[in-house]
Amino acid sequence: MLNLAPRNKLGLVIDSPLLAGSGAVGYGDAWPPGLRPEDFGAIITAPVSAAPRKGRPQPRLTEIPGGFLLDTGGHNPGFRRLAASQIRTWRRLPTPVILALAGGEPGDRAWMAAHLEPLEDVIAGVELSVSEDVNLGETAAFIAAVRRATPLPILARLPVTRATYLARTAIVAGADALIVGTPPPASYPASQTLIEAPLSGPAAFPFTLRALSLLAELDLDSPIIAAGGVYSLDDALLCLEMGASAVAIRGLVWRDPAAARRLAINIRPFMPEMEGVESDEG
Amino acid sequence: MIQVRAQIRDRELHGAVHILHLHAPDLARQLHPGQAVLIQTGWYVDPFLRRTFYPVAIDDAGFAIRLAPDADRGRAWLRMAPQGAEIDILGPVGRGYALPERTRRILCLGQGDAAWTLLPLVHAASAQGLGVALAMEASTKRQTIPPRDLPITVEYHVATLDGSAGRRGDLRPLLPDLLRWADAVMAAGSLDFYHVLARMIEDARMILPRDYAQALYQTDFLCGFGACQACAADVAGGRRRVCLRGPVFDLVDILR
Ligand code: FES
Repeated sequence: MLNLAPRNKLGLVIDSPLLAGSGAVGYGDAWPPGLRPEDFGAIITAPVSAAPRKGRPQPRLTEIPGGFLLDTGGHNPGFRRLAASQIRTWRRLPTPVILALAGGEPGDRAWMAAHLEPLEDVIAGVELSVSEDVNLGETAAFIAAVRRATPLPILARLPVTRATYLARTAIVAGADALIVGTPPPASYPASQTLIEAPLSGPAAFPFTLRALSLLAELDLDSPIIAAGGVYSLDDALLCLEMGASAVAIRGLVWRDPAAARRLAINIRPFMPEMEGVESDEG
Repeated sequence: MIQVRAQIRDRELHGAVHILHLHAPDLARQLHPGQAVLIQTGWYVDPFLRRTFYPVAIDDAGFAIRLAPDADRGRAWLRMAPQGAEIDILGPVGRGYALPERTRRILCLGQGDAAWTLLPLVHAASAQGLGVALAMEASTKRQTIPPRDLPITVEYHVATLDGSAGRRGDLRPLLPDLLRWADAVMAAGSLDFYHVLARMIEDARMILPRDYAQALYQTDFLCGFGACQACAADVAGGRRRVCLRGPVFDLVDILR
């Protein structure tokens, strides 16, 4: 067992270092063949916003060398509808569920966090994505606002290119763990238009590694979750060696569920131990 | 949906078009006409995205996909893959055509390459003893389904833009009679084709009723199981995931 929020009273204990990353299994309700909730230490949902979003019309997807760009335009049913429709799914899942809260109007995320109380027994934490263009003050303000609104563990997802700049601020503001992170945005044509989205697929992995290695130099005392471009056991182990406590996958689940299942099985023996973190093995 | 390793058991060449027959009995048992399969191509993770195919034949042992020449790297890899090669497939995706109960006569209407995806349905309906008419329009004869690929009982109409097969032009002049004859319509083509079809149905039958026409919303899928939202399109009164609600919809839902 490993605690991803050791300084939080509620903690966030996982039994596998492999997480289903943002929306890999939708809101915990979209499963590919062969994969089960027990294969993951935790499930991070697709982001939900305060109000419903229709998202972007087609096209949303384009292939690039080494991966793909996917821009859904934040398509989601909105916080209230999602909570009402998914609460039973979340309650049934044997794996901790981390609800990703999407940005929008200032205060939206704090508002959603404040309304999480009825879900606190089914939600194990929240993910907050820090966008590319916010400064330190804005980052501190919105994470602190969410911190005040909920006691649940907060996982701050940082843009990989600015992870070292934002990491300490995110932690001081109340983040219990960092996710590194959101790959750099890129553009590529699709059906006579341009899709602009963070890089997805194996092409994103070098960015994740660089962010991990720079963060290691900061000697942060908070768990780090590697996310972005992890496609094999070797990739995952490299992340753990470089200081990550856990690894999140998404594209692999979508593209090759059988390979994701093999990774889930093969990574279990490599569960990192963290200083000061309780393990059920003592 | 299942994930299987399928073997390329045969390859037919029709000029530059390849028909690949894949041995995948487990998947074939679950596969219905109009459903998609997602095929991994290339080496390791390149190209990254699975290619979406709508099978053009289904039998107990497997199914067949059609590869028209194009510049796509993934499909080029499949064109070159040797007989006996194993490929990784996810499927079936979504809902296919459903033959309505009490239907006696179905009209299958196809446009261009999409028309080929109607072939499994034509065979299934004909094997059930239904009256089947297939009408397709294409730019040229090379794109059309050869009559030898059809059950002998099927009434077949062709229109080509260049007049190289069947009547010159599109299917419109044929449709009023065919629509009056049919209890149900199953279509595969572009959105423009569906708009024309809807107008012709209204002309022939006064209204476009629900449960009369089904149409394939042909699109590419990323995950195929509802997680990624890549396939969400404006159908059935909202922006919906085609891999869950389709890819075959009531025509009324495609046009709303
Ligand atoms: S293809 Fe992923 S949701 Fe439809």
